[in-house]
Amino acid sequence: MRVDLDLENIVSEFYSPLYRFAFSLARSEAQAADLTQETFLILSKQHAQVRDATKIKSWLFTTLRREFLRGLRSQSAHPEVELKPEHQDQLVSDSAVSQAIDAATVLEALTQIDESYRIVLELFYLADLSYKEIAATLDIPIGTVMSRLSRGKEQLRTVLAKTAPPEKISPSPQAKHLPS
Amino acid sequence: MNSDTAKEILSAYRSKDRDGADPTFREALRQMESDADLKKWFDDQLDLDRTIRQKLAAIELPADLQAKILARIRGEKVRRSAFALPPAWLAVAACLVLGGLALFFSTRPGGSDRFQEFKSDALAMVSKQGGPDLDLETPNLTETQSFLREHKAPCYEALPSRLKLMETAGCRAFVWKDCPASLTCFRLPDGLLLHLVVIDKAAMDNADIPAGMKAMGDWHVMFQQKNGMLLMWASRAPMDQLKQVLVALRGVQGVQGELKSEELFSVRW
Repeated sequence: MRVDLDLENIVSEFYSPLYRFAFSLARSEAQAADLTQETFLILSKQHAQVRDATKIKSWLFTTLRREFLRGLRSQSAHPEVELKPEHQDQLVSDSAVSQAIDAATVLEALTQIDESYRIVLELFYLADLSYKEIAATLDIPIGTVMSRLSRGKEQLRTVLAKTAPPEKISPSPQAKHLPS
Repeated sequence: MNSDTAKEILSAYRSKDRDGADPTFREALRQMESDADLKKWFDDQLDLDRTIRQKLAAIELPADLQAKILARIRGEKVRRSAFALPPAWLAVAACLVLGGLALFFSTRPGGSDRFQEFKSDALAMVSKQGGPDLDLETPNLTETQSFLREHKAPCYEALPSRLKLMETAGCRAFVWKDCPASLTCFRLPDGLLLHLVVIDKAAMDNADIPAGMKAMGDWHVMFQQKNGMLLMWASRAPMDQLKQVLVALRGVQGVQGELKSEELFSVRW
């Protein structure tokens, strides 16, 4: 059954978390903006195929991640070489550089988390997806989402404890992992 | 349900208003009421979640992102309904593009479709075997500029003196998707060409233009925005040489006298 989507409302509701999720993946303001725009453009072309409006959020994050991975594969097949910063225009604006050092700290910490945990954490924190939506987005079982969230959070807590003030974040004294 | 299982489940809990009604969490939340350690762990967990969300929420959004997205969506609808065959020169150039180059660029993710199309089409034009077709062949830059002005083609005249001293191979005025555009070809000291394609920036539908020089296949490409125009520099010259030339383009104006090739390629700013 075809669903009529109000694209402008969808953009308004989801462009912020999508961009932040894209930024966490790409670590580039320009690429994150491109990915976000591209995702909505794909939705505008394919919205007739969306059968369940309640799953639009998962669809958007799934699509953005797929586009990002597609870009990575394409880059490895046709590498683009960028000049060093001293020879080119500033790639990241000053506002981006100065944007929330705290956010940069968290993003940096996320890079140190195992890949399979990291993506689940990013969807949880940046996209604010429920465990069911994360399972749908990544096409993995719900139980796996929960165990990865649990382990990922422990890893993140440990990494952040090395950089953040101890009174803010400390490693759990009972860090213990369940079998997946 | 033991404490470890409850913790694993509660790791996925976001807040009462979003997950409070989910039966998956109910039993774990109930258990927490009689398990002080679990309650303490859960409070710490929510604290960590809140801290991280707050920090990540500080990632600033580009001010015009929403407007750009909406513009692209609307633009896409317009283009699809008003689709027409491309100009003849595009078809000819496309046939001559070096193996797979056009395909590669047209399937690149990110960036606006229109900008990607322009990049692909412009590169197809300049990469034609034997060099691009030129309307005017002349070593004189001033003549190319006069020609482009006469033909109402965009012409970027604020070139640095160093570039003005270089010989040109010639120029061409053309139309890309109803937008006037121009091509000027400069002769580099080693005999290769440096191409400058100019078009009104508005033709790109507010697309984000990537900064920096890119190596794409055996071509090197760089974009600049100047005076409302989009400038695309492209050459097959080695990256090291081209870097020096393009860096020099930002440089000192008004250098007088003849430019030796070694000066051109040893500029430092």
